[in-house]
Amino acid sequence: MEPWVVATGLIFLYLLVTIVLGVVANRRLTVDMEDFMLYGRKAGFVVLYLTVVASFHSAFAFLGSSGFFYAHGVGFWAAGTWTVLVGAITYVLGTRIWALGKAFGYITPADMLADFYESEAVRVAVAVVSVVFTILYIQVQAQGLGYIINVASDGRISVEIGTLILLVVAAAYLIAGGLRAVYWTDVLQGIWMYVAVWVGALVLSYELFGGPLELWRQVSAERPDLLTLPGPNGFFTPGMWIGMTVTLSFGIVFQPHIMIRYNTAIDARTLKLLGATTPIYLMSLYIPTALVGLGGAIVMPGLDVPDRIFPELLFSYVSPWLTGAILAGATAAAMSTLDSILHANMTVLTRDVYQRYLAPDRSQRHYVAVGRLIVGGLLVVGYLLSVRSYDFLVVLVTLSGAGALQLMPAILGVCFPGRRTLTGGGVVAGIGAGLAALYVTLVLVPHPLGMHGAIWSLLVNAAVAFNVSAFTVPPSPETIERVHGEVERFVYGREE
Amino acid sequence: MDEPRRRTHFLPRTRDGRIAVVAFVTLFSLAMPPVTHALFNRAEPWILGLPFIFAVLLAVYVVSIGVLIWAFRRGV
Repeated sequence: MEPWVVATGLIFLYLLVTIVLGVVANRRLTVDMEDFMLYGRKAGFVVLYLTVVASFHSAFAFLGSSGFFYAHGVGFWAAGTWTVLVGAITYVLGTRIWALGKAFGYITPADMLADFYESEAVRVAVAVVSVVFTILYIQVQAQGLGYIINVASDGRISVEIGTLILLVVAAAYLIAGGLRAVYWTDVLQGIWMYVAVWVGALVLSYELFGGPLELWRQVSAERPDLLTLPGPNGFFTPGMWIGMTVTLSFGIVFQPHIMIRYNTAIDARTLKLLGATTPIYLMSLYIPTALVGLGGAIVMPGLDVPDRIFPELLFSYVSPWLTGAILAGATAAAMSTLDSILHANMTVLTRDVYQRYLAPDRSQRHYVAVGRLIVGGLLVVGYLLSVRSYDFLVVLVTLSGAGALQLMPAILGVCFPGRRTLTGGGVVAGIGAGLAALYVTLVLVPHPLGMHGAIWSLLVNAAVAFNVSAFTVPPSPETIERVHGEVERFVYGREE
Repeated sequence: MDEPRRRTHFLPRTRDGRIAVVAFVTLFSLAMPPVTHALFNRAEPWILGLPFIFAVLLAVYVVSIGVLIWAFRRGV
């Protein structure tokens, strides 16, 4: 049997399994928004763990991180800082978000922020940031999926058709089973991608070098520039290291598909255990991709697109069956993020836009039906964004990683009671100024003074938010008391 | 601004909380510039077959996760 038949067949087998899971999830679904959008707030540790890690790690973790090690060397091991920080953020901040969501029925980030800051402008600003800066991830993941299936089929299935097939499958099981289907498929995807990366990297390192330790020795002998900072192209400067750490921890946690997951935990202890242990999975996934990227730089130097190093090595040196299984793992990595973002955007558009402003008093069944229609619409938008080229998209993709980071001052203001409180006006002004600064420091003058643009934008955001808050109307004392009182009770078990 | 006054949540109030925060922040600072670029930025000496920078950062990450797990077990 030809290698491409095996590889493509295994990917389609994997897709079939996800559809079956979606159908089974559909039979458990009740016609209820919290069930469709929040898994009924009943996610236990194992399911929540695997859906969070699978959603966090996208096609980038599988393909892009190997490419980073390949091009820039050991500097990408900075990934450990942001994956460990994600655990700490979940432990400290995620549990507070969960407690407030449970107490006041929040579903989306905009629910929480608009309630505390008593501002519809905050709701709109947060909903816009949530959708605009994550909908582009649909494009990124969909293109990654199309590329994977194109490579697996040896070019017989075009990128466009591959993208369409995988988008339709992800949308189908989301429409059928809501967040429950996403979570169940994420369990499969989370396990598959982790095993696939490790097996692929170890097989390649033994096949090509005689083992991981010998691989390291050969890298040291032939490409010592890959084992020091800032790397052969000078990429990992101190400013980039810090900027990537902040952007890829807080910036991803504040995206709606992760924040909404916090609200689905069955209890706070589950979420704390999640925070303490997710870095084990998130960080250790980059050990095998370091082997692939650095080893690839020795045996296959000069690739035009470094992200192709993993599949190129697999097709050149590994059996077709194993290659197929590993590429199915890459598909899992991309789909688990894609379905989560589809779900998050559907939830934000249904809850923060449709239910809030267009049809406030309809039945739960109605909102679930509208949510399903929105998924269909997002499928079309995602496909068009994936197969067409728009100049403005290039700019937006550049900004997208740090977009959600602009919610940081507002979220800290809700979850960490302090002596001063931000205001709705301050939050909106801060987000606006932060996004403008992001455009300047990422697009017009990239990374001024060697500092990542995201850090500049966050500094501008915080400065504007605090200063505008000094002369605008704060939330009412009753609201501050209600929300911060709940945080106080949750963290310290008593009211002051 | 006429607001209810609360003790800040940015500073931990319990002994275990303070230990966890100080330990985590100290460890995390070891994985950030300038330490990474000034002290850890070399391949030698090799540790357990791994280049120095990779092995030391791996150790820092593992111990940081250990602090989080310790905090969980202590109910912080």
